[in-house]
Amino acid sequence: MNSNTMELSFLAKSENESFARMVISAFMMQKNPPLSLISEVRTAVSEAVTNVIVHSGSEKAVLRAAYSDNTLYIEVEDYGCGMEDIQLAMEPFYTSKPEQERTGIGFALMQSFMDGVTVSSFPGSGTLVKMIKCMNI
Amino acid sequence: MIKSRRVGEKLTIYLTGEIDHHAVTTLREDIDKLLDDRGVKLLELNFADVEFMDSSGIGMIIGRYKIMKARQGQVSATGLSDNLERIYRLGGLHRIVPIDDNGGKNEQ
Repeated sequence: MNSNTMELSFLAKSENESFARMVISAFMMQKNPPLSLISEVRTAVSEAVTNVIVHSGSEKAVLRAAYSDNTLYIEVEDYGCGMEDIQLAMEPFYTSKPEQERTGIGFALMQSFMDGVTVSSFPGSGTLVKMIKCMNI
Repeated sequence: MIKSRRVGEKLTIYLTGEIDHHAVTTLREDIDKLLDDRGVKLLELNFADVEFMDSSGIGMIIGRYKIMKARQGQVSATGLSDNLERIYRLGGLHRIVPIDDNGGKNEQ
């Protein structure tokens, strides 16, 4: 079986949004998937990491990725405020920060670009977003 | 600095690079400085040289749309790649900021 894993911990600063995208792209390159597929995953990771930076108040964000054959697994975790109501947060166009020109479509984009998205959150201790993508090569 | 071109009431802004939450902070200020000129009634956002955009970019565009709407102006988008157009449509943006396929890459 062809598999690999990676884990990256970084400060939850906006400068690291592009860094996280670069890292996930580089990791995926090992499997040489189509560029459109990398682009979709890059967008989903960008949305998840931006959520950490904009909403969580966490000092750090963690990006984990793994592939096993043609399935890619991604986790974005923080240790911030967590969410009381995950369903509300995931509702398209709902945002807790409209004054900052946030659109509320981050989770919708993740769901559209990935093959599976699950969110678990614990108020006061953090949020974990898990995503799956089939890499049909 | 951002590249722009003014012809009459129309201001075209040539966006470049990666438009994410980090980038929109300064991008928003740069665009709004140009929009301080109340004579601008048509704003064209050209995406031909944009390599990446996520929902933060969508939020930035909606914000500029509101500014232009308040002065009875209009906003259009040109030069969107397939991938950008997908994000654009998922955000419902095409309903308020029309995609103008006649603009874009060749116009530069």
